[in-house]
Amino acid sequence: MESDLVPPGLTYLADNITSRQNILGVAKEQGARWAQGLNLPPRAETIFFAGCGYQYSAQLERLMSLVRGIDKSVIGAELPMRFARFQKKLGLNLPGIYSSVLARGILPGKEAPEVKPLTAAVKVLRKLGLEPGYLAEAEPCCGAPLNHAGLRERFAANARQAYDKLKTAGVKRVIGIVPYCTHALAELFPGYVEGYDLEVRHFLEIVAEKLPSLKLKYPRKVKVTYHDPCQLVRYLNLVDEPRRILGAIEGITLVEPEWTRGEWATCCGGGGGFETVFPELSGVLAVNRASELLETGAEIIVTHCPGCVMQLKDGLRQLKVDNVTVLDLSEVVAEAMAA
Amino acid sequence: MKKQSDFKSYKKEIMGAAHDDRLRLALTRAVKSFRANVKAALEKFPHTVALADEVRKIKEKAIPDMEALTERAVAAIEENRGHGYIARTAEEALKIISDITGTGQLIVKGKTMTGEEIGLREYLEEKGNEVYETDLGEFIIQKLGSRPMHILSPAIHVPREDVARLFAKVIGQDISEESDIAAMVGAAREFLRDKFFRADIGISGANVVAAETGTLFIIENEGNIRLATGAPPVHIALVGMEKLVPTLSDAYKVAEVTWRYANYTIPSYVSLISGPSKTGDIEKVTTYGAHGPGQFHVIFLDGGRTRLAKYPKLMQALYCLRCGGCLYECPVFAVTAGHFGDKYFAGIGAVWAAIVNEDLEKAASIAYTCLTCGRCRQRCPMKIDVPEMIIELRKLLAEGS
Repeated sequence: MESDLVPPGLTYLADNITSRQNILGVAKEQGARWAQGLNLPPRAETIFFAGCGYQYSAQLERLMSLVRGIDKSVIGAELPMRFARFQKKLGLNLPGIYSSVLARGILPGKEAPEVKPLTAAVKVLRKLGLEPGYLAEAEPCCGAPLNHAGLRERFAANARQAYDKLKTAGVKRVIGIVPYCTHALAELFPGYVEGYDLEVRHFLEIVAEKLPSLKLKYPRKVKVTYHDPCQLVRYLNLVDEPRRILGAIEGITLVEPEWTRGEWATCCGGGGGFETVFPELSGVLAVNRASELLETGAEIIVTHCPGCVMQLKDGLRQLKVDNVTVLDLSEVVAEAMAA
Repeated sequence: MKKQSDFKSYKKEIMGAAHDDRLRLALTRAVKSFRANVKAALEKFPHTVALADEVRKIKEKAIPDMEALTERAVAAIEENRGHGYIARTAEEALKIISDITGTGQLIVKGKTMTGEEIGLREYLEEKGNEVYETDLGEFIIQKLGSRPMHILSPAIHVPREDVARLFAKVIGQDISEESDIAAMVGAAREFLRDKFFRADIGISGANVVAAETGTLFIIENEGNIRLATGAPPVHIALVGMEKLVPTLSDAYKVAEVTWRYANYTIPSYVSLISGPSKTGDIEKVTTYGAHGPGQFHVIFLDGGRTRLAKYPKLMQALYCLRCGGCLYECPVFAVTAGHFGDKYFAGIGAVWAAIVNEDLEKAASIAYTCLTCGRCRQRCPMKIDVPEMIIELRKLLAEGS
């Protein structure tokens, strides 16, 4: 029996995961669209785990801007979130309605800018001589937000189900890219899945490992700063890897905040569903973190998490800064390989 | 339905704080200087980091042994001719204390978070006593009619200009917005000076207690604790049971780590108090109440702490030394101060609210406000894993224990 102490924003995400295997409850085909044309094998021992954050980032951004607008008004964001759940109970196909609203503006077959980090990551892996598979619509959801919401029984059930799916697909090794998913698959799943035997590594680890054999050059000289996603830096301990990678790219000068870097990086205010419970506060925190990073004088803010990308972009937007861009590390590396 | 609306009013409070420019200004100033000070203190005394690991081990042993340590401390205090008490609940502690104070007394109080936890000042005032907070921050809070917003710097959310306005009103001295901070501190000193000497009773907390000798360690910089625990004829101390460690040398280690991570190389004062004031200077006859208090009372509060100690993943909340460092690192606290909290603040405050105060709705509000970003853990000398506790607590809240 689940209590009503869980904020509706989180139960909304949780129900979507349970019913549709993704946090937004949209059709899985939408999420897999980015990989069209890449011809990634649907079956392989080593797979690239794309995760919700990047695959649905366009939709997520749209939903968040909607929710933030409502949160600032008197009603408060709890209402639409709860309303969504209520309607679902009445048997309406709300995910369907949502997904059609959310999908607006994303043309089939055309790559939205928000999924660029994924295509970039695949290109990078290929240049490193890896040819990972991708399960597309069959990719299970890691269910991390369930654990985060405190819904551990549902998380455990989802974990076992996800593991079975991966095993049935013949997967032995997973290359993760979304920090939350990678942490869940690498660190949380073993606690709930008996005999868990998947080897899980993060994209960053693989790139950092191959670094000595790479010649990287950014197309122009730039000052960049790096924002450490919480899950990467304080959960997966990937502190040096991103810095070594950026440091190895010719043309890039890394400038960092004096205090809030590495393990001391300030959270962007997103992630874990916080933004659905406190949309407005999450926006305030985004501005704070963006301001800290702007103080470095960097032209590009590099990070490596779909949540952080979304938050930092939003922070810059609120600050009305348009001469600084936010890029995912995988995009930066892909560009430095192409040059 | 009530739960829903409670969460809403909490959220409103949080957002009100987040949009308060005065609050933001005060917090930004505080965070900046705190970080610089801790860094300097740890660079000057680098052994503190290893000492913190040692203290963690001391706490790991002491917490499961709280009951026995408390009994030892009570026995030691009695042996020292003081009075030791164990209060199982907040109500019991309040009753013990008000039985000692009675009514119509002038009471000077040092800062005690445990006192805040049980609403001690308000209770004593209700009982007809005149109570003065003597810690400058607490004094400001008391006069503002506000509540502490940080465990070490209760008035952290009040910028200097607001303090000036307040003092001009309540102390009535020549303080204006242009006054410098020293003038404000001087005004408070003058106002409180005679209260210490006229007081019937002094009340304090303690940072750590050595069970073997019943010795309280009280860390401070202002000197108000020395006066409040030294000048009046009666000293009452209220201490949470989690503050007990076996030996004097353990207690010293805890104290050093506490002040260092609380951003001090060395505090101006550390009081070690084990019993009432006494003299044997006339014919070797021991007489109590020489210059210090003739009566010394220590109340050890359980108030849910032994209950908390039984939760394998949550018990680490009891390792907390109350250095306050985590709060300066919390991104949410940086914009809301203690509005993100209950009796204790930020993520760890949710654990106290849930298990110690058994207020599940409040606990849920705080628990779901935590980002679980983990920067507090990075700062914590006890390496308390707040994200781990928060996720565990959410599970208890969502699925029931």
